[in-house]
Amino acid sequence: MNRKEIFLKKRYNSEKRFKLYGKLAISFALIFLCIFLYKIFSTGFSAFQKTLIKVDVTYNSELLFLDENPSLDDIKNADYYDLALETMANLDLNADEDQQNELKRMVSYIFDTEIKNHLLKNPDLLGKTSSVLLTASDDLDQIFKGNYPRDIPEDLRRVSDYQLTVYDKLIKDEKIISKFNFSFFTRADSREAELAGIASAVVGSFFTILVCLFISFPVAVLAAIYLEEFAPKNKITDFIEVNINNLAAVPSIVFGLLGLGILLAVFHLPRSTSLVGGITLSLMTLPTIIIAARASLKAVPPSIREAALAMGASRMQTTMHHTVPLSMPGTLSGTIIGLAQALGETAPLILIGMVAFINTIPMSPMDPSASLPVQVYLWAESAERGFVEKVSACIMVLLGFLILMNLLAQIVRHKFETKWS
Amino acid sequence: MKKINAKNVNVSYGSKQALFDINIDIEQNEVTALIGPSGCGKSTFLRCLNRMNDVIDICKVTGEIFINDFNILDKKCDVVRLREKIGMVFQKPNPFPKTIYENIAYGPTIHGMTQSKEEMDEVVELSLKKAALWNEVKDRLHEVGTGLSGGQQQRLCIARAISVSPEVILMDEPCSALDPIATAQIEELIDELKNEHTIIIVTHSMAQAARVSQNTGFFHLGNLIEFGSTDKIFKNPENQKTQDYITGRFG
Amino acid sequence: MNSNSPHTVKSYEEELKNLNNNIVKMGVLCEEALRKSIITLVTNNSEQAHEIINNDQEIDKYENLIEQQVVNLIALRQPLAIDLRETVTALKISSDLERIGDLAKNIAKRSLLISGNLSKNLVGILNALSENVQKQLKSVIDSYLERSSSIALNVWESDEKIDDLTNQCMQETINFLKEDQNNLKNGTHLLFVAKNLERMGDHTTNVAEQVYFLVKGEYLEGDRPKHSEIGK
Repeated sequence: MNRKEIFLKKRYNSEKRFKLYGKLAISFALIFLCIFLYKIFSTGFSAFQKTLIKVDVTYNSELLFLDENPSLDDIKNADYYDLALETMANLDLNADEDQQNELKRMVSYIFDTEIKNHLLKNPDLLGKTSSVLLTASDDLDQIFKGNYPRDIPEDLRRVSDYQLTVYDKLIKDEKIISKFNFSFFTRADSREAELAGIASAVVGSFFTILVCLFISFPVAVLAAIYLEEFAPKNKITDFIEVNINNLAAVPSIVFGLLGLGILLAVFHLPRSTSLVGGITLSLMTLPTIIIAARASLKAVPPSIREAALAMGASRMQTTMHHTVPLSMPGTLSGTIIGLAQALGETAPLILIGMVAFINTIPMSPMDPSASLPVQVYLWAESAERGFVEKVSACIMVLLGFLILMNLLAQIVRHKFETKWS
Repeated sequence: MKKINAKNVNVSYGSKQALFDINIDIEQNEVTALIGPSGCGKSTFLRCLNRMNDVIDICKVTGEIFINDFNILDKKCDVVRLREKIGMVFQKPNPFPKTIYENIAYGPTIHGMTQSKEEMDEVVELSLKKAALWNEVKDRLHEVGTGLSGGQQQRLCIARAISVSPEVILMDEPCSALDPIATAQIEELIDELKNEHTIIIVTHSMAQAARVSQNTGFFHLGNLIEFGSTDKIFKNPENQKTQDYITGRFG
Repeated sequence: MNSNSPHTVKSYEEELKNLNNNIVKMGVLCEEALRKSIITLVTNNSEQAHEIINNDQEIDKYENLIEQQVVNLIALRQPLAIDLRETVTALKISSDLERIGDLAKNIAKRSLLISGNLSKNLVGILNALSENVQKQLKSVIDSYLERSSSIALNVWESDEKIDDLTNQCMQETINFLKEDQNNLKNGTHLLFVAKNLERMGDHTTNVAEQVYFLVKGEYLEGDRPKHSEIGK
């Protein structure tokens, strides 16, 4: 073999090695992704199931202190607590007072409301007996899902031996039912894991992103159009350009401090609201959209501008009739990606107080609200076992939204962008 | 009859001068070809005629260019009105990524030249017919113009340029991206169009300059070396530089 | 070559040079044929006559070659300006030279048919005429070689000398015919020889016109100076 052939062989070998390194790197990344997803899904999926206990409720008018033929309002305003207690006590007729208390703790603290709602739905049940599904307490829920070990000493368990005997009897009677956890999506946060939901966080995140979009998009697009199409190229615009790029690299927590220091301290905007969150995040999204918009304006071939100018269009007409519409798909997909980033942002929201415990669903951006990433943070902080799966479930929802938004960005880009041959 | 009369036109980009004292007379309803090596200033001169150089901040144009005895380099000259009168066709076909109809309707729309949809339809049809494209596209006026072949796209651009009935059409290497058949179609079109428009064409192809033009100007290093009738330039040029260039002796 | 700098494409340059050389070679061959044909006529050397007749094929070959080269240049190089004139004139000059070659061959053929010695007078005038034509032909080839319009113009203007000599030659031949009835055959051939030499002169001026166009890029205008007419 002469030198040339040896050299050639070396070249091919190094190419092969390079390919191998690439494959290794990709598989490494994929393995981590798989582990991450597996962890999230295996812990999180059970949060979408809810454990319910079927109990027979006798809607006794006397216990409810209702007259004969009560109006719907009367039914609504009645106190169901005693009836609820009675119902739970009926699970074990021999129970002493302590045991009755334990029976009560087997369901969530809103058991009386659940019983009331059942009656409100069917007012003619008054005086009759009907089976009602009550949300099981988070401890029982975890026992049912197999997340709590039963074979450890009683004092280490959150569920007493007595509750377990009742639970086993209920299982035998097929009174324990597992259903899809709708309330996870419809309820706000709660101190009780079995009742905690992400509705407040989803709505809060939605308002935040909306505010962010309405502020950052027009500002960013106008800034990009001006910089790209109208601004003279000189030192001042160069300086601005460098700073926009710098802004994109500023850590998000700094924007949080800015929101805290200016929006809350100076302008006294309501704390922990989507409005403040949205404004803070829009500062962060601004450079992302400006950069995306400028890039897609730059991608419009100069020949199109020349064509329009040569037809006698003014600079404004050229920009508005041709350049901007052609750059829109790129700008939009950049915007969506920027918003997706904002959606996953936690630190600035914590600083402006969106970390507060909010157990109501916000109706407007001016209401205090949670947001999805902060909800993850909050639940991850909680001690109860019931919140562990909620954290994962919440992450799954957040990931779902992010994937959806990125997908949308891809679709917008590929479907509507003009291809320049 | 003289259509365009340039007097002592100097152009510079920053500190670099691109054109030196250009004096030229361009005849009405004739095709004038501008030839010369790359970077000789022929395109720069062409772009002076519809003030496309205005877009470039550092570009400075001095001198006088009279079109219909009106100095277009004067500050009083309105660029929009000027470009309505002076159309331009570019090197690469650059139709707007819109429908064929919209491409042609754009000029008349922004200049407010039509009153009704019917009138616009007429303008579109006439422009396409003049550009010898009507028969090929009449059934797909509402398809995108960028879907046409290269030659058709360039004819669409010509149709777009003539939709506002310009007096002068500037062509900047209009066939450099086209195959010989499409080139021949464009050349035939240029021949037709000169009856109604004055045409100035910049080309790298000497054969094309010889085929389509009545007058030819040779630019070199920013100077207009020789200007005269095309057959004179190609048979017996006066200047040695012209001779060297057109016979391929540039070293 | 008129231009100072060579072509960027070297093979194009080569082809044009080649064409140029072929014209000159062909011209030299014609000169040779003309010179020899008159010597043959005077000396009655039949061997040399056959040689001239054979050599004419070579001149014809050159004409064909030049024609091919010209067609190739036009098809493949699309010559312009000086190159275009170079190419086009080469075609025309070669056809004129070919005619000159043919006429020389014709003289050689006639020399075979002429028997007996010619009178001193006649030989003198014939030599004078042929020398003049030779000088013209040589000048015109020089003018082509040097791209000299002034030499070409000179050739063009000197053609009347040939016309004069031709007339003298014819007059002398007529006298020769009058002398003796037996001179009829020789005399007739000699008339044609004179006519041939005159035609050669015409072709030479045609070449001069082409050279002038080649160099100047414009045509020689107006009629050639000509005061004498045949039979005057």
